[in-house]
Amino acid sequence: MAKGFFTDTTVCIGCKACEVACKQWNQLPDDGFVFTGMSYDNTVHLGASTWRHVSFIERPVPLAGQITGYGQFSWLMMSDVCKHCVKAGCLEACPTGAIVRTEFESVFVQQDVCNGCGYCVVACPFGVIDRREDDGRAWKCTLCYDRQKEGLVPACAKACPTESIQFGELDELKSKARERVEQLHARGMTDAYLYGADAAGQPGTEGLNAFFLLVDEPQVYNLPPAPTAPNKKIRASWASMAGAAAALGVAAVASVLSGRLSR
Amino acid sequence: MRVGNGTRSGADTTYYDRPVLKEPVWVWQVPAYFYAGGAAGAAAVLGGVAQALEGDDVAGLVRRCRYLAVGGTVVGTALLIADLGRPERFLNMLRVFKPSSPLNVGSWILSAATGLSVGAAALGSRDGLPGRLGAAAGYGAALTGMPLAGYTAVLLADTAVPAWQEARRSLPALFIASAASSAASLLSLMSLNQREQQIVYRFGTIAEVAEIAAAKSVDKEVGRVERVARAYKEGLSGSLWRASGLLSYASLALGLLARRSKAANLAGAITGTAGGLATRFALFHVGKASARDPRATFDLQRQPDERGQPPGRS
Repeated sequence: MAKGFFTDTTVCIGCKACEVACKQWNQLPDDGFVFTGMSYDNTVHLGASTWRHVSFIERPVPLAGQITGYGQFSWLMMSDVCKHCVKAGCLEACPTGAIVRTEFESVFVQQDVCNGCGYCVVACPFGVIDRREDDGRAWKCTLCYDRQKEGLVPACAKACPTESIQFGELDELKSKARERVEQLHARGMTDAYLYGADAAGQPGTEGLNAFFLLVDEPQVYNLPPAPTAPNKKIRASWASMAGAAAALGVAAVASVLSGRLSR
Repeated sequence: MRVGNGTRSGADTTYYDRPVLKEPVWVWQVPAYFYAGGAAGAAAVLGGVAQALEGDDVAGLVRRCRYLAVGGTVVGTALLIADLGRPERFLNMLRVFKPSSPLNVGSWILSAATGLSVGAAALGSRDGLPGRLGAAAGYGAALTGMPLAGYTAVLLADTAVPAWQEARRSLPALFIASAASSAASLLSLMSLNQREQQIVYRFGTIAEVAEIAAAKSVDKEVGRVERVARAYKEGLSGSLWRASGLLSYASLALGLLARRSKAANLAGAITGTAGGLATRFALFHVGKASARDPRATFDLQRQPDERGQPPGRS
């Protein structure tokens, strides 16, 4: 049964309870205590030890319908997470078979198999998965596989006080999300749209099992506008390699034979 | 009081200029392997072809090609294992066969090429059955040497890194040409008879010309999006990329003089080797720089799709 996340950014209040709950449940190590000066975001990005990340965007433009007392301003906050892509770059790139798709359709790294080659790190179009330096293996969100096994909701969704993070069966989540977009549009928030909800909207990943409701360009949230599993474009590269490899053989034959002729 | 009208942010917005992708975690062993494995693959091909077409006349060249193939594959394998986060688990690469992963396919190619090269070098000069097995291993090494010289380009292209992904058609040709010129440079330093020298010289000249042409087509392919091409032009990666181009020309020019002068031959071999290494390290740093630049990813993906539609909306 396909399960996933619907993250509705319009109700996120930036409390970071999801970040804390994730760290606690998964017993993730700290990843430095850095003061960035970027709004309220000292977490910066998802990584080997950060599986939920709340981004804080201070926009110099107002939200639709919003009344501002002074100047043009609006907050956007989004809790980012591994997208558990339907066509996942990391899973296809993994040379050991350590990364698998679970019975819940999530993408899971088997830590007893991973040998830390780092190929998934460059294959992820969202920059999610990373190698942990002291440990040498690649880590990312498991969609709380252990909790799901026991019928529990993932830690981040459980902790979210505004239901910005919703967990459930994907079909249900998608229809809920579409209703929410219609509701927002009706209220005048015509910028609201779904990011990655289906293959039609995001053919490169064939849809995300953790999708989002956004109100500005994807890159404002540090999301790629049209992510693609790298493998989708690679046939041309293999063909080109086959041609060049054949040319290498021909060059070797020509070099050897031309020596014979000029003797 | 103002009432907002829901204006979107500008098209060139980023999230505090932070990277959207993760920088490759690979270290110097990986481009060093690209060089060693490439040279080994090309040497195995030349050795196999010489063995098939000429036999005893060029036995010295065939033997040296085999040694080069052994050295490159063995050293290359060691470099790759050293780069792993968990080196003791390197054999996990071979617990599955997975065509969707160029790294998995490459591990099988490298394993086969290493085994066959060692077999050819160990048994190739024996008499009787062992000698015949060695010769067969030499042909096998030549066959595996062809993809060995080029799969690493597919490995880089099959990533989310814009400067690698966008070079997916031209990069394999560059890597294979660079592998051949690297092998020729190393072989030209070894003691060869006149006939063998001529073969190596011609092989190297073809490779250098192909390398120059392939580098130009890489520039052209990545030049489609200005921001993607930037990693090939600026910073450490840009300098290395320019240096690799200049070294190719220098090596080609010195090669033309090499038959008259030993010094020119030596200088040509050194510039050829340096050029081969510069190409591999340039591409390595190009990828790192490109992954750090969020605008490379955003600009590339904001190109209209085949139907002319803006991307990313449902």
